[in-house]
Amino acid sequence: MSVLYALVAAVLFGCSLYMILSRNLVRVLLGLSLLTTAVNLMLFETGRFRSVQPPIITEDANRLGGSAEPLSQALILTAIVIGFALTVLLAVLVVRAYRAHGTLASHEIRSADQLGDPFAAEAGDDR
Amino acid sequence: MIAWLLGVSLVGSCAAWPLSYLFGRKAAGWLLALLPVGLFTAFLSFAPAIAAGGAVTEWLPWAPSLGVNLSLRLDGFSFLFVLLITGIGALVVVYAGDYLSTESDWDRARFFTLILLFMTAMLGAVLSDNLLVMYLFWEATSILSFLLIGFHADSPHARRAALMSLRVTAGGGLALLGAIILIGVTLGSYSMAEAVARSSELAHSPWIVPIMIGLLLGGFTKSAQFPFHFWLPNAMQAPTPASAYLHSATMVKLGIYLLARFEPLVGAVPHGRDLLIAVAIVTMLVAALQALRAENFKSVLAYSTVASLGVLVLLIGLDGPTASVAMVGFILAHALYKATLFFCAGSVQHATGLSKLRSMGGLARFLPVTAGAAVLASLSMAGLPPFLGFVSKEFLFLAQIESSWEAIPLAVAVIVNAVLVAVAGAVTLRPFFLDPEKVTAVRHGETPALLLGPVVLGLLGLAFSLEPGWLSRSVMRPAVTAVYGTPVDVELGLWHGVTPMLALSAVVVGIGALIFVYWKPIHRRLRARSRIDRVSLEHAYDALFRGVEWAAAGTARLVQHGDLRRYVWVVLASAAALVAWGLVAAGQAPRLPAMAALGDLRAGPAAVALLGLAGGIAATRARTLLTTMIAVGLVGFVAAITFMMNGAPDLALTQFAVESLIVVLLTLALLVLPLGGKATRTRRERRLDLALSAGFAALLFVVLLDMSVAPPHTAVSDFFGAQSYVSAFGRNVVNVILVDFRAFDTLGETTVIALSAVVAWSLLGPRTPREAAATPASAPTVFVLAITSRLFFWLLAGASVILLLRGHNEIGGGFVGGLVAALAYAMIAITSGVGRARAMLRVHPLALAGGGLLLALASGLPGLLIHGDYLRHVWVELDLLGIHLKQGTTLLFDLGVYTVVLGGVLAFLFGLQREAAR
Repeated sequence: MSVLYALVAAVLFGCSLYMILSRNLVRVLLGLSLLTTAVNLMLFETGRFRSVQPPIITEDANRLGGSAEPLSQALILTAIVIGFALTVLLAVLVVRAYRAHGTLASHEIRSADQLGDPFAAEAGDDR
Repeated sequence: MIAWLLGVSLVGSCAAWPLSYLFGRKAAGWLLALLPVGLFTAFLSFAPAIAAGGAVTEWLPWAPSLGVNLSLRLDGFSFLFVLLITGIGALVVVYAGDYLSTESDWDRARFFTLILLFMTAMLGAVLSDNLLVMYLFWEATSILSFLLIGFHADSPHARRAALMSLRVTAGGGLALLGAIILIGVTLGSYSMAEAVARSSELAHSPWIVPIMIGLLLGGFTKSAQFPFHFWLPNAMQAPTPASAYLHSATMVKLGIYLLARFEPLVGAVPHGRDLLIAVAIVTMLVAALQALRAENFKSVLAYSTVASLGVLVLLIGLDGPTASVAMVGFILAHALYKATLFFCAGSVQHATGLSKLRSMGGLARFLPVTAGAAVLASLSMAGLPPFLGFVSKEFLFLAQIESSWEAIPLAVAVIVNAVLVAVAGAVTLRPFFLDPEKVTAVRHGETPALLLGPVVLGLLGLAFSLEPGWLSRSVMRPAVTAVYGTPVDVELGLWHGVTPMLALSAVVVGIGALIFVYWKPIHRRLRARSRIDRVSLEHAYDALFRGVEWAAAGTARLVQHGDLRRYVWVVLASAAALVAWGLVAAGQAPRLPAMAALGDLRAGPAAVALLGLAGGIAATRARTLLTTMIAVGLVGFVAAITFMMNGAPDLALTQFAVESLIVVLLTLALLVLPLGGKATRTRRERRLDLALSAGFAALLFVVLLDMSVAPPHTAVSDFFGAQSYVSAFGRNVVNVILVDFRAFDTLGETTVIALSAVVAWSLLGPRTPREAAATPASAPTVFVLAITSRLFFWLLAGASVILLLRGHNEIGGGFVGGLVAALAYAMIAITSGVGRARAMLRVHPLALAGGGLLLALASGLPGLLIHGDYLRHVWVELDLLGIHLKQGTTLLFDLGVYTVVLGGVLAFLFGLQREAAR
């Protein structure tokens, strides 16, 4: 099973990179979202699928028995939420960029290059 | 005491800025000079201790862990420098008061501050015993020199000269730093006195070659030795008081100071002295030649300064005690007469507006006292009795004769000194006494402030040689002893009978007089030879920095192309290369699972996994963004199911909630954005991208397979599993890790969510007060949804509270609870509009997020108060109405997380919905 999951995680990783390399900002954003999922699956692999029991201590015990690995789950749980915040924040930025520039193509958004000479302001320097 | 004086100097320098305004145009120079005068007298009080042969040391801890202590040491050699620095400093400040009378108040304040700061830095450099501290002051002098040369920053010549001096001297300073660190590493101490005392040990260390290179580069660049001499003549762009102070009397002597201090080391290294003497000879010859060619008053003086510095390096290179006596004597004599001549040059330029020697003449009529001071200084420079210059020249020749060297340095010294005699004549007789018809009027006459410096220094050159007792006892002998290491008896005298030195002096004066008589033809011939300019290193310097700028522009064009795809490409390719390198460097083939491992496929999970695979590939191939989003969402749900089927229900729940919210939020975003559009990559680019992505994915596949075979590290998770219930009273280990064991991490992540919500709101929130007040238009209502959405809202809201409350022992927690609660409000927002949802929420989403963050932060305080550990949770047990309750501050923490997530997501939701309606 772990071989299959490794294959799926790796392929999803490749797919997300291919999308991130696009110049369409929404595609980049969806690629990053996909990347989060792929990496979470990889993190999940570090837990090694040793059991399908959730890591919850049963009523009659005071320590964890044979269950799935809890540490990687804790890491992934925050990663999911942070990845969600990242994706949505990027979506907000893309929406604002589109409103400002009328395009989603990153190579057509050149306002940073058109700021002019950073030293031009020196001319107006007074004491 | 010494440290106090340094502190006073620093504070006084900084106070000079406002004081210069306060004192006004007339008085500022005179009053500010009180600072160096006071320091001068204070240092003079050390004279008895120094004359007795002692050294005053002080020690203040600064950064002990780095071996940097403010250890100060005042011995005879430092004493000489300290008196020169403060004494000439006082005269320079007085002189500058009138010299800068035509500048604005701002510029004068700037000049006084810089020149006094420079004085402080010089004092620090010659008083530091710790080499690292000395280096700091050393570089400070370079920077202040840069600022003073570029004082008239509107002139491109001044800017170029300032940059040149900074690059050369600070570059040499970096080499010096390298040498200092190597000395510190070799000896285990950064004390200069100790380094000098253990010279032979240093000389036999394996690092001696780099140490010597660093020391010599530092000294040669600072003291303008060939091939780094070119910065000094250019530095004459500085205002003349600064030239007099920095570029003849003090700063350029700092390199001499360093080399003289390390003379024992130079002597202990094979060919160390040879190298010094060779460099000095070339410097002297080049400078003498250029002095004859130079046209400007100040340039002639600058080249003669370079030649004099060459003489000093030569004297350091020569062995024997007389060489040390001659060096110390020449430092003093040169400082006195050269500063005087610079003062005179400044007065002449100021009064006439002329800078070329050729166009000056007969100025003694207008500036009689200045002319007199110039005569005194020139006679000393020419080495004529009864001036100090004569005494020091006698010692120079004596040192040459006594040393174990052949005749070459002596011959060069004779020639160069003859040129200096001619220069002395040229800079005094020509502007002041010859050709009276050239200048018929001056702008202004002499003022006391402009006269004080040249007259005092000119007369001192005479007084010291006529009454040498105090000087030789209190200054010369201690200085020579400090440099030479053992006490040396110094007898200054004017008349030693007819000696070889006297004969040499006569020869020098004779040749010098001849050169002076034929000055014009010699000057004209040499100027005609423009090839001399072309081989100068200034051209190499210019070419070097043109090359640097060209390369920088090219590099910027290459790497700052502005194409996002290529940036990402480079980052990803580099990351892939690192992974590949890691695989190769491991030195063994990646382990692969046995074929048997393939046999444990379960049909259900395998089918789900393959569905995810298809979703990923579909996402890359989809034409419209809507399809892409649905495909990516599919992969998210596949991940959630995969988590569920492998013992991770918490993850599954969270992922389900997140995916649902992403669909809602991204759909809102896509309402604004165009879904189609033409391809943004060429076919070739897509192929390249595919190759990179596939290659990286293949690498990671191998890595994952290797990892799956490796034995797992379970120590940490075993600890959590064992302690979760015993120490933290929670059965859901994942939740206990989040809210208790790793609560600090979770707090950080919660903060990230809250802050991203603030960012989103600032980008999407209402832009005008009117927009804020307006009720958002309600969405077109779908009847069925409108009826059922209330029901769904209460179901989801209730579920979220249950997830929050029981999260510590069963599936759930703050994150997932907050997400589900946000889903509840999203339901309302979609069916009945944002206005309705916000009315039901009652508070501002950012207030919710901020309040939650505060709650999470506060939940750590009880632990801090009771146990002394922040975020160590506190548990209380109580029986209430027969129900046994055991509750901890973990619940408060989780409630904070819940609220932050709810507020954050709603900020995104409401913001995006408003943007879509715009």
